[in-house]
Amino acid sequence: MTAVSGSPRSSRLRRTRVAQALDNRGTLIATLLVPVLIFFVLFNTIPTLWLLGLSFYNYSLTSGSPPSFVGFRNFIQIFNNRNNIWADLSRTFTFVVFGVGIQTVLGLALGFLFWGSKEMPGRRVALTMLFTPMVLTPVATGTFFRFIYDPDFGVLNVILHGLFSTRPINFLSEPGTAFWAVLAVDCWMWTPFMILMALAALGSVPKAELEAAEVDRLPWRKRLTLVIWHHGKFILMLGILLRTIDSFKTLDLIIPLTKGGPGQETRLVAMEVNKQAFESFNMGWSSAYSVLLLLISIAMTSVFIFILNLRRRRGA
Amino acid sequence: MNGRGFRQHLYYAALWLVALFFFAPVAWIVLSSFKTREQILAVPPKLIFVPTLANYTDLLSRQGLLLQVFNSIFLSVVAVCVAVVVSFLAAFCFSRFKPKGTDFLMFLLLSIRMLPGPAVILPVYLMYAGFGWKDNHFWLVMFYAMFSIPFSVWILKGFLDGVSVRFDETGLVNGGSWFHVIFRVVMPQVKPGLIAAFIFNMIFVWNEFLFNFIIGGVSTQNIPYALAVGTYSDGGVNWTFIASMTTIYVIPPILFIYFFQKYLLVGMTFGTVRGEV
Repeated sequence: MTAVSGSPRSSRLRRTRVAQALDNRGTLIATLLVPVLIFFVLFNTIPTLWLLGLSFYNYSLTSGSPPSFVGFRNFIQIFNNRNNIWADLSRTFTFVVFGVGIQTVLGLALGFLFWGSKEMPGRRVALTMLFTPMVLTPVATGTFFRFIYDPDFGVLNVILHGLFSTRPINFLSEPGTAFWAVLAVDCWMWTPFMILMALAALGSVPKAELEAAEVDRLPWRKRLTLVIWHHGKFILMLGILLRTIDSFKTLDLIIPLTKGGPGQETRLVAMEVNKQAFESFNMGWSSAYSVLLLLISIAMTSVFIFILNLRRRRGA
Repeated sequence: MNGRGFRQHLYYAALWLVALFFFAPVAWIVLSSFKTREQILAVPPKLIFVPTLANYTDLLSRQGLLLQVFNSIFLSVVAVCVAVVVSFLAAFCFSRFKPKGTDFLMFLLLSIRMLPGPAVILPVYLMYAGFGWKDNHFWLVMFYAMFSIPFSVWILKGFLDGVSVRFDETGLVNGGSWFHVIFRVVMPQVKPGLIAAFIFNMIFVWNEFLFNFIIGGVSTQNIPYALAVGTYSDGGVNWTFIASMTTIYVIPPILFIYFFQKYLLVGMTFGTVRGEV
């Protein structure tokens, strides 16, 4: 940090001080960056390199034998579908597509509904209630939804029985329903986020243009495509992308709900890495799996940044 | 009542219904926390019952609860404080001096948050196990701080970019040190960013379970850990504990999103979307 103190007396002196400060720019930059770099290198760069290295080893914590170098064997096994991991990947893909799709559609519909409710009495309380699912501890959400889905005393079966007089359905243990039951909980948790994003997107549409469209008697369909979509699309895209990334990571909801079962019906990629690493302790194999996921998330991050830059360039 | 007023009421009623629909499961948890075990498991579920506070008094006598509550608060507050200070300095540097590799570093920071939790924690677990850092408050705080940094840097850089460089120049020309400029001139202007970074990282660490479970241990366990591990008792799921604990535990986040609603958008989008809802 540069030591510039006291009050300036002349413009000449002032200029020297600025120059002095600029001279020490390098020191200043270093001082500002050192803390973040320490954190980053110690807790991220080194572990990531470790992960990359380990992915070429066969290393099991339970066998007690030291890691043995196996070259590309782990990666070849990934391509040869060991542990049926392609099924996990495609299941995760389905989960993301359906989950984010449903949440986007619902979020947009409800966002339009909430648009223009600024004057509503108690709006703040209503919005807080609406957004609560997002901040509820996921572990608790999962556990409690297991209770709600319970075939014997779960409230959902009681409601369904009352409405359609169905027989009790064991949502979380039947192969046909487990995946969709988990997806429904995910939608309950994250539709509010898409509502939030839809509201933000709608809020970014300039009032003047909407009024102009009103004056011009533009039909609704054109208003939507020409005015609203034009201004709101970037925020909506960011929202969809953030949701995609987050839903790709879904884990602490599934642990208490189904633990990946029945069979591997609800086993998403994060769940499988967790199981291979911290239940079976196959560190080498799960490192290789993690490297694969790392590549996927780097790709998704790139898309995210690409859209951000697009938005910045258009000045929207 | 005229037609317009009636339609207005109908519209508001619909909005309230939507909000209530999303809140209903939470309400069910809260309601259950005032029931006895038998009432919770009753078929059909009881809506009207004599509320009992027994679950909450049981909670107080639960072993290790004090430690878990302390850990929850300690870990989230300390880790996020460290993260916000470190990130503010870094974000200031990125925003003002744009050193070489800024974009790349911002990209790397973000990609940590995009990776599934187990893949992040796996090498860290091996490192912690190797050095004997597991089950240690200091190292767990450091890890949580690292995990909160990307989010905070992104939020704060967005805000700092919005503060004109003129302020820095004026401060410097008038004889202020960089220290003065950073903390006295610029920092007050990005207060909303600091608050958003603080609250959203705090909610994250507050609810975090996996990392605490893997690199923490008996002495660092927080409430989500207790909720996940202490689920079973007496040959069944301990619903009374889950209901009452969750009810208490969700109060701080709810208060946060009530009082800081205008930061919600900034907070949930890495600072990439600004505005109020």
